[in-house]
Amino acid sequence: MTASMRLIASATRHLQQPRIVSLVLLLFAYSSSLGAEAPGEFFRGLNLNGPAVTIDGQAWEGSDSQNYACQDQAFESQDVPLVPATDPERAKMIRSSRWGGNRIELTNVPAGAYTVFLYVWEDNNPEIFSIGVNGRTVLASYNSGSAGHWEKLGPWYTTAREGKIVVTSQGGAANFSGIEIWKGHHDGQPPISADDLAFFEKRIRPLLVNNCYECHSAESEQPEAELLLDSRATLRRGGVHGPAVVPGDVDGSLLIAAVRYQNEDLQMPPDGKLSEEEIADLERWVKIGAPDPRSTPTKHAGKKIDIAAAREFWSLRPISNPIVPNVRDAGWPANDIDHFVLAKLEEEGLAPAPDADKRALIRRATYDLTGLPPTPEEVEAFLADDSDAAFARVVERLLASPRYGERWGRHWLDVVRYADTAGDNSDYPVPQMHRYRDWVINALNHDLPFDEFVRDQLAGDLRGGASEEERCRRIVATGYIAASRRFGSRVNDYPQHLTIEDTLDNLGRAFLGMTLACARCHDHKFDPITSRDYYALYGIFQSTRYPWPGIELDKRQRDFVPLIPAERLAELEKAQRSRNDEQKRLDAEVEKLKKQLENAKDATDAEKQKLEKKLKRAERRAIKHREQPPLFDTAYAVADAEQADDAAIHLRGDPARPGEVVRRRFLEVLGGEELPDGYEGSGREQLAEWILSADNPLPARVMVNRIWHHHFGQGIVPTTNDFGRQGKPPSHPELLDYLAQAFRDGGWSIKSMHRMIMTSRTYRQSTAREELAVSVDPANQWLSGYTRRRLDAESIRDTMLVVGGNLDLSPAGPHPFPPEPSWDFTQHKPFKDVYDTNRRSVYLMTQRIQRHPYLAIFDGADPSASTGERMTSTTPLQALYLMNDPFLHEQARRVAERIMHHAPDDERRTAYAYELLLARPPMVDEQTQAKKFLEKARKLLQNNKSAVADLEVEAWSAYVRSLFRLNEFVYLD
Amino acid sequence: MKTTIHSPIRRREFFRSFVGGSLLMPGLLSELLADSALQTDDPLAPKAPHFRGKAKQVIFVFSNGGVSHMDTFDYKPELFKADGKRTGAGGGLSNLEKVLLKPLWEFRPGGQCGTLVSDLFPHLRKCMDDICVIKSLHGNDNEHYNATLGMHTGSFFFSRPSIGSWVSYGLGTMNQNLPSFIALAPQMPYAGTQIFNNDFLPAYHQGVRVVGGAEPIANLARRSSVSGLQELELGLADVLNNRHLESRGSATELSARIRSFETAFHMQSAAPDAFDVAQESDDTLALYGLERGQSDGFGWQCLVARRLAERGVRFIELIDGSSSNNWDQHGDMAEHAIHAKRIDRPLAGLVRDLKRRGMLEETLVVWTTEFGRTPGIDGEKGRGHHGACFSSWMAGGGVKGAISYGTTDEIGATVAENGVHVHDFHATILHLLGIDHTRLTYRHAGRDYRLTDVHGRVVSDILA
Repeated sequence: MTASMRLIASATRHLQQPRIVSLVLLLFAYSSSLGAEAPGEFFRGLNLNGPAVTIDGQAWEGSDSQNYACQDQAFESQDVPLVPATDPERAKMIRSSRWGGNRIELTNVPAGAYTVFLYVWEDNNPEIFSIGVNGRTVLASYNSGSAGHWEKLGPWYTTAREGKIVVTSQGGAANFSGIEIWKGHHDGQPPISADDLAFFEKRIRPLLVNNCYECHSAESEQPEAELLLDSRATLRRGGVHGPAVVPGDVDGSLLIAAVRYQNEDLQMPPDGKLSEEEIADLERWVKIGAPDPRSTPTKHAGKKIDIAAAREFWSLRPISNPIVPNVRDAGWPANDIDHFVLAKLEEEGLAPAPDADKRALIRRATYDLTGLPPTPEEVEAFLADDSDAAFARVVERLLASPRYGERWGRHWLDVVRYADTAGDNSDYPVPQMHRYRDWVINALNHDLPFDEFVRDQLAGDLRGGASEEERCRRIVATGYIAASRRFGSRVNDYPQHLTIEDTLDNLGRAFLGMTLACARCHDHKFDPITSRDYYALYGIFQSTRYPWPGIELDKRQRDFVPLIPAERLAELEKAQRSRNDEQKRLDAEVEKLKKQLENAKDATDAEKQKLEKKLKRAERRAIKHREQPPLFDTAYAVADAEQADDAAIHLRGDPARPGEVVRRRFLEVLGGEELPDGYEGSGREQLAEWILSADNPLPARVMVNRIWHHHFGQGIVPTTNDFGRQGKPPSHPELLDYLAQAFRDGGWSIKSMHRMIMTSRTYRQSTAREELAVSVDPANQWLSGYTRRRLDAESIRDTMLVVGGNLDLSPAGPHPFPPEPSWDFTQHKPFKDVYDTNRRSVYLMTQRIQRHPYLAIFDGADPSASTGERMTSTTPLQALYLMNDPFLHEQARRVAERIMHHAPDDERRTAYAYELLLARPPMVDEQTQAKKFLEKARKLLQNNKSAVADLEVEAWSAYVRSLFRLNEFVYLD
Repeated sequence: MKTTIHSPIRRREFFRSFVGGSLLMPGLLSELLADSALQTDDPLAPKAPHFRGKAKQVIFVFSNGGVSHMDTFDYKPELFKADGKRTGAGGGLSNLEKVLLKPLWEFRPGGQCGTLVSDLFPHLRKCMDDICVIKSLHGNDNEHYNATLGMHTGSFFFSRPSIGSWVSYGLGTMNQNLPSFIALAPQMPYAGTQIFNNDFLPAYHQGVRVVGGAEPIANLARRSSVSGLQELELGLADVLNNRHLESRGSATELSARIRSFETAFHMQSAAPDAFDVAQESDDTLALYGLERGQSDGFGWQCLVARRLAERGVRFIELIDGSSSNNWDQHGDMAEHAIHAKRIDRPLAGLVRDLKRRGMLEETLVVWTTEFGRTPGIDGEKGRGHHGACFSSWMAGGGVKGAISYGTTDEIGATVAENGVHVHDFHATILHLLGIDHTRLTYRHAGRDYRLTDVHGRVVSDILA
């Protein structure tokens, strides 16, 4: 149930016990999939503790049956009155049960599909447990109720595996009374009697057909409130308001409330109340248990997408092979990109800006590719190189720099909302997350083709590798999925549907430029994505095992993927187990000594001291043992779940209201390929291929647009994460397709795209745009010049470090998180820390819940949701940071010392400061200003001598602080 | 509002002193003042509301941990009859039925209106003629974190902009020298900084956290004690920035950044001034239960809230307690007394002080918590989490005083009448400010977002 339903249910339970229990029963009864197959046939009933019995006319086997195995304890209490009361045979079966352990293995089950029902009951106090069938949780956090309460749980659909069906429980003590198995799919309803059938056919069916079917059947255009009244299953499952009928409970059935017109909001049929007689018929029908022969569940086909029409939308059209346009000013273009841009400019009556000067260009390119400023030497070398290829050489040098991956890896980390913590209520750290970060940076540095980049992140664990190293690398890449956000504090009713929503939301934006998550609750309002599409993809991730990073009520990591060869796993796991045993022994020793000390009240001081010493030693040993590094490395990565399965649609996004099950497949508008019948994997490999298919124009368009966006500050499509109707259309659609085609043709090489874009003349324009251009195109969408840009948070900080000479470029590795065995984070005391480092900002530890104090001020990426474009805000808090933050003061002092060391006099020092910070020499009056500034600063410092350690350093530090605050320092021309 | 409003005159004075300090360029002053013309594109400039609202600003008090409604503002005679046998909603994670727990405090009528308040709030009880108690609030979650997030952002799971950020975005601010949204949060609440985060709204609308003490806002204090040095540095940067701006046409982002340094410079003195309660009379300090010289505690938070309200800060949030020291009494309800004692007098002082200064009419004071507590016992003598119904109150800013709204059942387990969901609560607060909650939207990631998502109903019965 959702949190809200849980709340309501729990709050109202004590007032309306009978209704709530039956409502809960029904919700659970339908919490598994309903197909449209023929009704099943009875296969086996098993009284788990007691003799053979006859129930609902079926012969059940007793506990002496050879068709099952169970080690649980037998238990019987025939005096407890059952709630609700039932027939004697069933009651006998229920009141004798098995408990403790709770594992029932049904054997001798021929291969095939089955439906499982489980009878449970409570003999004394309520218990809460979960139930699993063949290793898959089918019911979470079930509350067994008060003494005497019983339920027939199910139906759960499963397939026999190796002749077995295994039913288990976890959590509180469950009383398993009996198991009922049907072949195929069965909805758990007893056969209908002839009298009831006649009553239904004569009085009820015509009434429903005539008054309700128009709006509430599979034939309706769009069923109201998602309620179908044309089959037993859909009627009982109900629509958005809950079950329409609760058998036996006339006053608790919404259908009755509606036809009675008893509350204003729900009056059916809407155009006139039924006759008293008809209402009485319906009441009687519900009272006798709503017998209903319509056993085949119906389904509504849902919103029909006109695929052909949908694919007319610009982003879904096939990538065209646009003809490179001719331009009037044929001398301007340096490459094809310029033809597209200039053609558009000429069409708009605009002209390109002059070329940027070489200093501006190298500063722009260096920040662009590495996020750092050029050194004065690099600037000099570029100025000295007169050849045509000078700039191309700079681009090559920058692309080859390891700093490139740190910069462009960060762009991708923005998109995938990278964080080093999980995002649950206590924000558990994920120390292994950095492996994924490093994988991204390496992939960019090595120009891993983008299609491989996609495959590895979605299905790297399934791909293997030519070497062990490659296999592990690919496992790490699936950290992309593992990094999906975690929620809440609880374990048993953990909201996995929200984590999967986060996966799908990100996957849609990152690879397809689509907002898939909108379809979680309803068909997408604007784009051709249905709820069925959403749950078709959902099934793939429901069939994926996500690692457990720890959460308030279960604080230890599990299901992380070992990064060791499969053949060594068993041995190392064995070693780990003996290590764990040793830990238990050491902990027990500590406990024993503690007890001894407690009991040693009468002992002498010397004896006590001896004991204390012993205890301390034991504690040290235990801690030391606990804090050993793990025996093998693991990755925060995914694997296929033990059992793969299609998912049911969640009506209105509510997992407690499962609708029809949909086959795992790709989005219909993009081809809708399905997984083959009986496919046993999650389907992530196929998903990657569907995404990358030659028929899907989106990934290439979306990715080249991201690259363009980061080069120009604005994408050809300004909404880089949304290529749908709510996004913005491309300014240069032909150019976008040209680039997308080139990207695919060029083997998905990202570095090739940089080369092509950066050597265009478009990229090399100055920011000095014509007045006309500024007035008619203020946002510069036609690219009549380069758009001035503020450096992002990382570049500002990294620059201050690099000019201060203390940027740490050694490999970053993991963050200094506390060791896992010590974790005790709760929502009361969540994990919260900031680790200072002089490494590049991409290596700052980033939390989901607590924004990093620096990155929060300077528009850093959102660590909880995909950031396609950073905002550039200007706030007084940023100014206060640049005025008063100790880091800034420290860096200014370092720069001051550096320039003082570099040159002996004010003039040359000023010049060096300009070269370092602004990549240009100062102008004459800037020299004069510097001189005046220094004079005045020295005077001020002289007057405050007591507060000043080294007057010259202080004066120069003040000067550098001034330069740190310049617009020219943080803006790129 | 009587003090420091950002006016052209103040601005002129500011630049005079500024340029006087650096004496770098005689022509600078006129240049800087000409730049004042750009003032209108300030993202925080006051904006017209959708309609005339009675409230101009909000003081939003949040008590962490879940304050029991049946022990404070929701009198339940049936619970006082608890005999150790009858059961009711019992809280905890399973929310099983538990034996009912009797409230520990008597209820008495307050003010002329006679609204019943328990002995936990004797001072506040006297203010009931100005207060509207809402007894039928309810939310979507029973966890501190999620309920706290929901109460602030309307979203119980995902990070979204805080209500303060939405108000700042909708109305701008009345004082450019202080942030528009200030959170007086000496300690962190549940869900951390998300509670006052702007999320996808532009960063100007970020709640600025004030911790109290020597540097109440990060980087507010000058690092160098050498007087005049910072002015000199800023003066040089200003000259160079203006020349840079000149050579690049009129670029608003560049001039906005130049302006941000002026504001920051001014904040260095304006903000400490706002936090300096030494300027208050003994009488006022006593009203808030403050000792002279005290610059911490909830009384300090309340008094500073009033001072910020005077200065035109749009949304002021007060965090009472923290995620680890708060009203979460699972074990022993008696501890509620400790927490009530901390906030009762200051809150009463705040309401009275605003009233006597004529500020209450335009200042909406809201007191709330993430959820109530269960009628049934939890732990030894405590109560569990209870989001199904709980109490809060509002005062001033166009709210009817002297009334209670909504009721719960006889033991305080469910809403009986006139439920107010957290979304309705938000819609009502926005309405009082003159904002239609369905029209205050922000386009983000392909969707128009609202504080109230697709929900929310203005509780018109409590509007004055």
